[in-house]
Amino acid sequence: MKDHKHVLTRRDFIRGTIGATIGTSILGLKWPQAEAKAAGSSLVTLVRHKNAVDSSKNVDNTILEKMIEQTLIKITGEKNTKDAWLSLVKPDDMIGLVPTDHLNPTHDEVVDAVKRSLIGAGIPKGRIRLAQGGPRNPQKCDSLIALPALKAHWLTGIGTVLKLYILYSGSPSRYHKSNSSKLGEIWNLPFVKGKTKLVLVDSLYPLCDKGPQPDPRYQWPYNGLIAGTDPVAVETVCLKILTEKRKAIRGEPWPLSPPPICVEAADKVYGLGTSRMEAIKIEHYGWEQDLLL
Amino acid sequence: MNGVKLNLPKTVGVWNRPDSPRVINSKNIFNYMNGAGELYLGYRFRHLEVFDYTSGNQNNILVELYFMETSDDAFGLLSLDWGGEPVSFSDFSANTSNQSLTSPTTALYGAGLLRVWSDNLYARVMAYSETSASKQAVFALGHAIAVNRKNAPQPDLVNILAPQIGSDWKLRNDRLSFFRSYLVLNSIYYLSAENILYLDHSTEAVIAPYEYISNSADRKRSQFLLVKYENHEQARKALNHFHDVYLPEYKKEFTADSTTNIPSLFKLEDGWLAYKLISNYITVVFECPDRESARQIIKKNESNLLKKEGES
Repeated sequence: MKDHKHVLTRRDFIRGTIGATIGTSILGLKWPQAEAKAAGSSLVTLVRHKNAVDSSKNVDNTILEKMIEQTLIKITGEKNTKDAWLSLVKPDDMIGLVPTDHLNPTHDEVVDAVKRSLIGAGIPKGRIRLAQGGPRNPQKCDSLIALPALKAHWLTGIGTVLKLYILYSGSPSRYHKSNSSKLGEIWNLPFVKGKTKLVLVDSLYPLCDKGPQPDPRYQWPYNGLIAGTDPVAVETVCLKILTEKRKAIRGEPWPLSPPPICVEAADKVYGLGTSRMEAIKIEHYGWEQDLLL
Repeated sequence: MNGVKLNLPKTVGVWNRPDSPRVINSKNIFNYMNGAGELYLGYRFRHLEVFDYTSGNQNNILVELYFMETSDDAFGLLSLDWGGEPVSFSDFSANTSNQSLTSPTTALYGAGLLRVWSDNLYARVMAYSETSASKQAVFALGHAIAVNRKNAPQPDLVNILAPQIGSDWKLRNDRLSFFRSYLVLNSIYYLSAENILYLDHSTEAVIAPYEYISNSADRKRSQFLLVKYENHEQARKALNHFHDVYLPEYKKEFTADSTTNIPSLFKLEDGWLAYKLISNYITVVFECPDRESARQIIKKNESNLLKKEGES
């Protein structure tokens, strides 16, 4: 029998058969292929402060540090930052901080504040390193703290959490074009799997269209940090915020195009977490205006 | 190189540029903009020149000059987003103006970013922080880019699209885009993960919605797509493949010479789809609320196409 590869089309989305199509056709995997999900929580926190970024786009470090502290405590349920970090990482872990380093990068202030917070929790400075780049970076680390910046992406719909590790594949071009749906695969590489202890999204000044190139018409001071231990749940909340912002700009639905297939694939095929909003518990703190959730 | 060599000012306001630009070509574009390079390579890209204008106490102004193979390619990049304030550089004051409908928009400004289409050049001039001084500098740079360069016409394909279909449907010019790549198409209107229309640098395509004229807040839209191939055989093969992938459960109804036939019509999940092969062109309309609207949109645009072809 001739093996006809089903090509994903717009009609699959309209029919609501996208998940099955991803599993059975695009990736050549049986559906469902996902392994049992990690026992992690699908709690996603959003902490915002009206003055985190000023009108000149300068970050207020004092406010930022408080936002990170609040995020850690809410995510872990611990009483203080030190206990929160120590519930996520071991004191002797080599900890890799993984920011978005190119085109609308993670604010340096966020990376520096996380580093200071880890040191404040008793992690030796020498056990914290920047770990963005090729596969040698995660190989050198016991734990990873993902620090992506929130942005739409013209090729993948969204270019935030799941795309963050693309260089860890050693062959980023393998995940371009229609293969972007496979981005979740990278998170299951042996030297990456299970190492991500926290996903903390810099959503201080996100980009909701035309990414990854900066376009100030589509950037806005959201002044938030989005966090969780389930990368797919965090990405799903990020998607919701981008989608709502786009709707607010045009005054009508303005879906991301192309649709961010990698998010559902990360859930349904790679078992990295949940992409179902109803299964995600969102807790938000601080500034309420234009929450977009 | 088309047109006059650009001579950007060394100093604009409090900003200064380096002596020479950073030059990016198709081989190293991903080092400069990983994840965005495909956009420019989707058009016929020659090279990119980048200048960073710096100032001691102000945020930088970035100037990116994308030199494309033709004016159509540069127009295509501008056409991906008609948002912003139209700008005219036809006089030295570089004031913004509301241009007439007959005069194509060649530059748009919004929130610190100026985008310019000038012959085979597409430029982005972006102030990292928008202030009155940075806006003035951005406009001065825009003028320096556009002055003394010829005003090329819009791609012929754009002029084929009927502005109105009867009294029911109006073309949304502000959502009209010209492209050559399926990746670009997908960023405007997602069709498929694969290149099911066989788009490449030899093809020209335009997509725009027609909006139903009514007072209702719920505005019905149908997407109209027109693709020009190098020859009839390529167009036929592309339509054949499109049908196989997109409409696998339906029988094909087009023939090698279909100019006298009515469009092929299909009732899908999101409305009616119609297509027609016309010489070396394919026309497709998506998401029509009824069969007759789909037929009319194809028919009117076919009529325009044949008229334009007859004139050329």
